[in-house]
Amino acid sequence: VATLMAELDSPKPPLLLERTLLLFLKARDRETISGDLLEEYREEKLPTLGHARANFWYFRQVISFVVTQWKEGELMKQLLTLTCFFTVAAGVWLAVMENLLRHPGYGERTAVAVFIALQSLATLLVIFLDSRFELRTVVMLGSIAAALFGVTAIFRTAQAAHFEG
Amino acid sequence: LKESRTGNLALAIWTDSCLQCRQMADLLGAFEQAVLLVLVKLADQAYGRAILRQVQLSLGRDVAAGAVYATLDRLEKKGLVSSFVETGTPVRGGRSRRYYQVAAAGVQALNDSKSALEALWQGTKWPLSWQN
Repeated sequence: VATLMAELDSPKPPLLLERTLLLFLKARDRETISGDLLEEYREEKLPTLGHARANFWYFRQVISFVVTQWKEGELMKQLLTLTCFFTVAAGVWLAVMENLLRHPGYGERTAVAVFIALQSLATLLVIFLDSRFELRTVVMLGSIAAALFGVTAIFRTAQAAHFEG
Repeated sequence: LKESRTGNLALAIWTDSCLQCRQMADLLGAFEQAVLLVLVKLADQAYGRAILRQVQLSLGRDVAAGAVYATLDRLEKKGLVSSFVETGTPVRGGRSRRYYQVAAAGVQALNDSKSALEALWQGTKWPLSWQN
């Protein structure tokens, strides 16, 4: 209890910065790296720089982790993974709905929806399992094709007689 | 025959330069070398905060923590460094410490980098002087 009370009374960097730091660290590094920075903050920066400048130092360190993650591609990887999961779900949902409603031309639209879902699945495979050049090239070409489908769909929707949004 | 000899010579030069390129590509970057040398210096005291401070001292400039940890992570993935976790102290809120050690491959990489750099400079007068 005494240790816990001492920890509660000890100076800490701003909570928002600590939370942001944890967000950008890998699970295995969260405790160790945040501990290193806390140790430096309490033992070195706070006594020598004062509260405001020590907090600014901590802010700079957090930014350095954000920048590093961006450079290493980790942020992009997470964003791409999230987008791919969403696209797979959307593709499956669209294909199922098209087949339930069966409006004219549903076959083609189902094929497009399935293609987009498969394309996203392939991208997920490249992210997590395989990064061979051949598969990456196929996935990249598929992505370009999917993007062309998307752009065409936007133009066709905008020019349609009955604009449905 | 003359053409064949020229071809062989060109092939030999090309192969040699490719080998050199590959060796250069395998070399450690300056920052990676700085981090590895700090690990050697700190020995069994090499944990995150100590490494960060020592790297700053070695390079004589402020270094962002993110850059040091990213380098340590990369070196560990390459198998040049290994790490283990130990319990933390109260000053760090009880959070554990990760200690780093240079692996045998890391020592080899440091030696190779130094040898390659020395070989590269061999026969060149130092310091270089610029002449217009």
